[in-house]
Amino acid sequence: MTLTRGQKRGVLGACMLAAILILIGVLATFFASKYQLRLIYSAYVNLIVVLGLQVFMGNSRLTNLSHSAFMGIGAYAAAISVTPVAMKQISLPDAPWGLNAFALDPLTSAIVALLITGAIAFLVGIFIVRMTGTGATIATLAILVIVHSIFLYRTDIFKGNQAFFGIPQVFSLTSIVILAVVVVFIVRGFRESPWGVMLRASADDETGSAAMGVNVVRLRLIAWVLSGLILAGAGIAYAYFLGTISARPFYFNHVFLTLAMLIFGGMRTVTGAVLGTFAISFGLEVVRWLETGPVIVGIDFPEVLGLSGVMLGLVIVLTMALRPVGVMGDREIEELVLRDK
Amino acid sequence: MEYAAQQIINALSFGAEYALLALGLAIVFSVMGLVNFAHGEVIAVGGYTMVAFAALVTANPLIIVVGAVAAAALTSVALERVAFRPVRYADPTTGLLTAFGVSIVLQNLFLLFISPRPIAVTSLYFLDVPVTLFGVQISSLQIFESITTVVVIVGLVLFLQRTTLGLAMRAASLDFEMVRLTGIRANRVFALAFLISGLLAGLACIFIMARRGSVDPHFGFNPVLKAFVACVVGGFGSLPGAVLGGFLLGAVEVSMLVLLPQEYGGLKDAFVFGIIALVLVWRPDGILSPAKEKGDKL
Repeated sequence: MTLTRGQKRGVLGACMLAAILILIGVLATFFASKYQLRLIYSAYVNLIVVLGLQVFMGNSRLTNLSHSAFMGIGAYAAAISVTPVAMKQISLPDAPWGLNAFALDPLTSAIVALLITGAIAFLVGIFIVRMTGTGATIATLAILVIVHSIFLYRTDIFKGNQAFFGIPQVFSLTSIVILAVVVVFIVRGFRESPWGVMLRASADDETGSAAMGVNVVRLRLIAWVLSGLILAGAGIAYAYFLGTISARPFYFNHVFLTLAMLIFGGMRTVTGAVLGTFAISFGLEVVRWLETGPVIVGIDFPEVLGLSGVMLGLVIVLTMALRPVGVMGDREIEELVLRDK
Repeated sequence: MEYAAQQIINALSFGAEYALLALGLAIVFSVMGLVNFAHGEVIAVGGYTMVAFAALVTANPLIIVVGAVAAAALTSVALERVAFRPVRYADPTTGLLTAFGVSIVLQNLFLLFISPRPIAVTSLYFLDVPVTLFGVQISSLQIFESITTVVVIVGLVLFLQRTTLGLAMRAASLDFEMVRLTGIRANRVFALAFLISGLLAGLACIFIMARRGSVDPHFGFNPVLKAFVACVVGGFGSLPGAVLGGFLLGAVEVSMLVLLPQEYGGLKDAFVFGIIALVLVWRPDGILSPAKEKGDKL
């Protein structure tokens, strides 16, 4: 198989990003405290979410606000499959359809969760990809609300806002770094694949690309389902590390957070997604520390709850006003290093 | 029979509220292509103004109401000036995400400077008294709401059809460059669209406050979510579509409340959104979506 020039560069770029991800992971294992390890782990989970978002939003330029719901579906599907029967008898005594009478090993559970989320994403996607710009965005918002209200309503399956506990903790920082690297290669691979190129072309000029024989609806659907699978992966990794999940993290706050990450870095490129995730993850930690009212050089700062939210919103507004394409714009990481020819 | 009549009136008054909100979104969208996520926070500003007026100035409901509407309208215009001007000619996604950001900032500012907890305002409860009309028991609030919406729609139609600025706004939704070439100031048209949008938000705020009686940072969120859905169903950018979508949503919501068995009550929103999604399968761009040119537009 011969690769095009763009694809060769894509492999190079993905390798560079992978190196950075691994480096951060290695540094974290050596220097981070237990609490910081958890923060870094959740940054990696968010990275996978943002990459999943980028596949769809970055290539088709339709705004998706339902991603946290798909992450939640993946997390719950895996959690329900993998939790030992004895545990589920306690946590889900009233579960229907014998959901509390079986347990699978982590790998099979992950595959089951991917299949379920993929199937749901496909069914929903059929409707979404036919809509245009704004309609599609609001429809994804509706999906988020529907999924969340089902999570909250079916407490016999999902426990609603209470914790679903007893999930075996099979993931470590190493596993999530590996997963993130794999996802980076998938996402970058999709961007440079013929599908990705055609999809990006259709986002730039829908009529023109359709005239050239691009089937926009089908390509969007492919990107949407791929995005759903990656988001499910993030959900599984989240559940497998924490050992406990609830419906609350899969709602608007998380949608805002991950969207801000993608927008800040620049949704058109994979590099932008990675940059945005780490910049905002670490930046937000600093703001949260300020929020608690620390003492800096002898001055006792007041406690300001909500400051992190204001900062997050400002990041979005300022990025949109000053540089709507994000920090990276159309440049991938290797283009910063290589000379243009 | 009486029960049915009562439910129809319920549907109409819900629909009227959604239509007010949806119109506020649609008028901004039709002029500048902006999906104003911050509309809910404009409503919340109205609510907080009521709190401030009731606590600091006077208990006179008329002044409170006028103050809230004025505050909402001013906030809306101020947001246009501060936040939405830089993205005025940008593509819709940029505007949408900006509005998203503005909404988050405002919500957290309420949280930071006012209170994360709901604050009660009781001075509007007098609007909500039960009355019997032709043997049907309804709330006076529902009558006020329906009448207000009808008046607003008629007023808006007259304004858009009969005045120069109204004509400019209608033209702006088709071709803004042309409007500017005729010598009408773009700033004025945009400010006006936001002013009207804010007025509508203020009116809606009164009814929501009269019903709920308290305001919190996420006050405007749910109503505006519904208004978005109404806009999408009716066809984004179409004013008749917004009204139709609002009333349709009200009808679906009330019929869900009536028809769904009690134990599925928690799933009402899921069903409502599900049914709306089916409408979108039938017409992906909404029922009354304006015809779109897909050819090259220069």
